[in-house]
Amino acid sequence: MSLFDKFEKNAALYNQLSEAGQNPFTVVMEKVLGPTRAIIKGRETVLAGTHNYLGQTFEPNAIAAAKEALDKEGTGTTGSRFANGTFSGHKMLERDLADYLGMTHCVVFSTGYTANLGAIAGLINPADDVVLIDADCHACIYDGCALSGAETIRFRHNDPESLDKRLARLDPKVKGKLVCIEGMYSMFGDIAPVQEFVEVAHRHGAYLLVDEAHSFGVYGETGKGVSEAEGAMRGIDFYTGTFSKALAAIGGFVASNHPELEYLRFSSRPYQFTASPSPATIASASAALANIKAHPELRDKLWANARRLHAAFTQLGLNIAAPPAPVISVLLPNRELAFAAWNFLLENGVYVNMAIPPGTPGKESLLRLAVSSAHTNEDIDRLVAAYTAMADAFEGARVTASAERVASIQSKS
Amino acid sequence: MTEIQEDDDLVFHKICSLLEPLNHKGAKLTRDTDLIADLEVDSVSVLDIVMDIEDNYDISIPVNTISETRTIGELVDAIHAIKKEQS
Repeated sequence: MSLFDKFEKNAALYNQLSEAGQNPFTVVMEKVLGPTRAIIKGRETVLAGTHNYLGQTFEPNAIAAAKEALDKEGTGTTGSRFANGTFSGHKMLERDLADYLGMTHCVVFSTGYTANLGAIAGLINPADDVVLIDADCHACIYDGCALSGAETIRFRHNDPESLDKRLARLDPKVKGKLVCIEGMYSMFGDIAPVQEFVEVAHRHGAYLLVDEAHSFGVYGETGKGVSEAEGAMRGIDFYTGTFSKALAAIGGFVASNHPELEYLRFSSRPYQFTASPSPATIASASAALANIKAHPELRDKLWANARRLHAAFTQLGLNIAAPPAPVISVLLPNRELAFAAWNFLLENGVYVNMAIPPGTPGKESLLRLAVSSAHTNEDIDRLVAAYTAMADAFEGARVTASAERVASIQSKS
Repeated sequence: MTEIQEDDDLVFHKICSLLEPLNHKGAKLTRDTDLIADLEVDSVSVLDIVMDIEDNYDISIPVNTISETRTIGELVDAIHAIKKEQS
């Protein structure tokens, strides 16, 4: 019995959610109607809790490319990238991604999660190297560190000075130093001062890895991410990303100007020991990449939608975690209110994400909305109407900001 | 030796003062207090407290070390060892 004892506490929390209403972690999309609509609990719902930033899930050319790949290459590769599952499509997509990012090398993985896992664990030798990570990094970066077995040091979120101190303290015997940050952080929608991190990392002889999972295709003049927006593309050593957000497929990649990136192909277990992405997946991701390159107006529409929602929520007096971004998180005073407000929105035909401690920075309870370029004006109207009704229905939904947080948000905007 | 114990004691009190806001049950904090089982502090909170300790003592405490400590006493000992190593 003792094997299962450890689950008791979290199981009780999880079950409580189901008893008190719809459990946010058991939502089923019964029927998908389009990039921003699905049937949930029998009701047509606006999807604002998936990361379909550029609305690519139903693009006819991507669907056609995937169907063609299915017909020509079959349903799966039945092999790993390393041993027996690399098709020409994987290599072409690596080339296309490297070209797009202006980098010389790219390695495609099966998911965004395994891309970070594989990059960190593959690059790091636990005997000699140290990884330094932003405290708010995604679970896959923490897991990459754990898999690497190397000493891992956290620095304060978005704080280059905190990194500077920790790099300065390192034993001179440490050989390789890898710093990991993200472009846009997906919980609050705040962005990293990438160029400042480049300068600090390189001053200490450290390499910088930037995970642009949520910002690839979305930030920067040509969509290369927060690194581009911050003028830091030339300074970053490793760029990681995913196909499962702006590219609306599944898979991930690491790009770099270091030719040694190729060594990951025989030294990264998450690359070597899992099946490669299916031909249809690669085909749709490739088509989506071509689409987002050819249609910068998708980004314009996404940002127009994001600004409109952010302005409306500000007007409502909601406590927004960060300046306008493709993720707009509204902070609520506690998890009970977050849960009730999330249920209220779902009952009103709006699907967003609820996030509660301990999985959130600063122990915040929040409702996370992910904007899409495919959100129509009518979708945005429905989102604003639902949030307005929510703010009216729950005392305490408006203004919960601690003075400290308000100050930190204002200093970033 | 007394000097070390004195210092040890200061580290212990520093950790207790950082943990106090999270000590919702008002448990008495001793070296044997288990951070997660007794205080029900989640692992992320422990990491955040450690960051305050790092800045306070100007040392770096690896995540790996923290995940191996369960009690306040173990954390005190780990910090003590790192202080010695990094000074």
